Amino acid sequence: MNAKKAVREVFGFFLSLGRRTGKTRVFALLGLVPVILAVVVRVVLHGRTGDMAAVFTEVLMVFFLQFYIVILALFYGTSVVAEEVEGRTLSYLITRPLPKPAILLGKYAAYSLLMFLMVAVSLTFSFFIMNAGRLADARLYPAFLGYLGVLGLGILAYTAFFTFLGTFLKKAILVGLVFGFGWENVIQYFPGSTQRFSVVHYLKSLLPYRPMGGGGGGVALLLFRLEPTPPSLAVAMLALIAGAFLALACWLFRTKEYLYEE
Amino acid sequence: MTAVISATNLSKYYGNVLGLNEVTLDIAGGITGLLGPNGAGKSTFMKLITGQMKPNIGHVTVHGRKVWNNPAIFRGIGFCPENDVFYEEMTGFEFVTGLLRFYGFSPSEIKDRAARALDIVELTKDKDRLIRGYSRGMRQRVKFAQAIAHDPEIVILDEPLSGLDPLGKRKLIKLIKDFKAEGRTVLVSSHVLPEIEALTSEMVLIHQGKILAQGDIPYVRELIESHPHMISVRSSDPRALAARFVGDRSIQKMSFGPDGRTLVVETHKRDDFFGRLTGVVVEGGIEIEEISSPDDNLQAVFEYLVGK
Repeated sequence: MNAKKAVREVFGFFLSLGRRTGKTRVFALLGLVPVILAVVVRVVLHGRTGDMAAVFTEVLMVFFLQFYIVILALFYGTSVVAEEVEGRTLSYLITRPLPKPAILLGKYAAYSLLMFLMVAVSLTFSFFIMNAGRLADARLYPAFLGYLGVLGLGILAYTAFFTFLGTFLKKAILVGLVFGFGWENVIQYFPGSTQRFSVVHYLKSLLPYRPMGGGGGGVALLLFRLEPTPPSLAVAMLALIAGAFLALACWLFRTKEYLYEE
Repeated sequence: MTAVISATNLSKYYGNVLGLNEVTLDIAGGITGLLGPNGAGKSTFMKLITGQMKPNIGHVTVHGRKVWNNPAIFRGIGFCPENDVFYEEMTGFEFVTGLLRFYGFSPSEIKDRAARALDIVELTKDKDRLIRGYSRGMRQRVKFAQAIAHDPEIVILDEPLSGLDPLGKRKLIKLIKDFKAEGRTVLVSSHVLPEIEALTSEMVLIHQGKILAQGDIPYVRELIESHPHMISVRSSDPRALAARFVGDRSIQKMSFGPDGRTLVVETHKRDDFFGRLTGVVVEGGIEIEEISSPDDNLQAVFEYLVGK
């Protein structure tokens, strides 16, 4: 079987398996949080349609960008290899005529799609509930696609990094937590070029609406202390992060020997 | 003998712990039993020949082709792992079809092959139930089904009979023998001699990471027969029981346990002793509470063999 077909088959296997796990149900439920928040905000700001874009970016996108996709990518990414080793099911995969990188890439792709679907459903409901008063405004839809694209890129980049961690380390979740909620949350607020050492910096640089550039309040000063990178460079950086960590993970998975704990 | 699986100076270390020590072995067609006590190195050997581990020293080949990082060879190999692990959220049918996808078969062929494999292991009726609801025997059988579904030339089974009831064991033994009859190569590991004996006369004895002997059952049987077995019998009247065995030539030594209710017997002929014991119990009306064999395991036999 060629590598492309192998990736496709592994993708299909884990997409089918992944959607019925308890983990997926829990994280899908977590996606209800922004929807509930959107309803609450909508009720509180009833009739003030002009504030919605700022509120959406300052509150809901912070939840999506700095919590939801990070926690999703952390748990799914680190589990790409680790759950096979801990569950001892790796034997079923590596004794098949599949190149090892195809196993990793197929599972990464399946989990990334699963996460994207969860995020997309949550974003769709929360975004359109927030903007229910101006559904006829044509500018709304490109903005929605922009947000969706940013989150998709975020999932790909974070999941690649966490997949690498899970391939490399036994306690990848702990290191991932420190990275996702420590490093990322601190470094992005550093002035100058230091903030460019975080993934979230590039994601925020791509947001269709940024309060710093258009009327965000005091909250925005805290949440969006951003000196944005140009969009094309931000996309290239995110692609580079995803590609480099996936390549490293594939190389490690191919050469490393995984022993089950007795 | 044409070797299907060939190991040369194969060694594996887990840190400072020796898993397998300079094993050189050729395995030909038919059924070969890999017999050894727990921790002898059977699973390590199986993981090395299925490419799950990389040897520290030496090499292993299947039909002359290296195993580690060579996925192409797995088209002809079926592996049934020792661990009772599955993708529990799947049904038996989804599990087998899911793993068959990795061989490049068409969707209809995948379904046909899965149905056939599940039929062979008599799981057709339960194929749509979740694996997490399967009994131990059904789990062993679905594990076997995934190993044979792609019609491999070589089947490697790590402790396939472990945890099965006698009927389940008999069924699986028949399946394995049928596989051999089709001209395939089967390597089966076990720590129970009668299980291997029921499957094949060709066996490899492994202990402490080394191959102790390779040959047919009579040779190994002879070695094992010469090892004295210790049997402990707790009864209502151990002294009356001992009196009945005093003249028995199969008994080498008898003593009483510290609780005063246990008779400890050492014999070279375990089967003869058990045969006699049944008669003595029936005739003498002696009540037996428990029979155990403190060293009736392969570990003791193998230690004896090593000492010899």
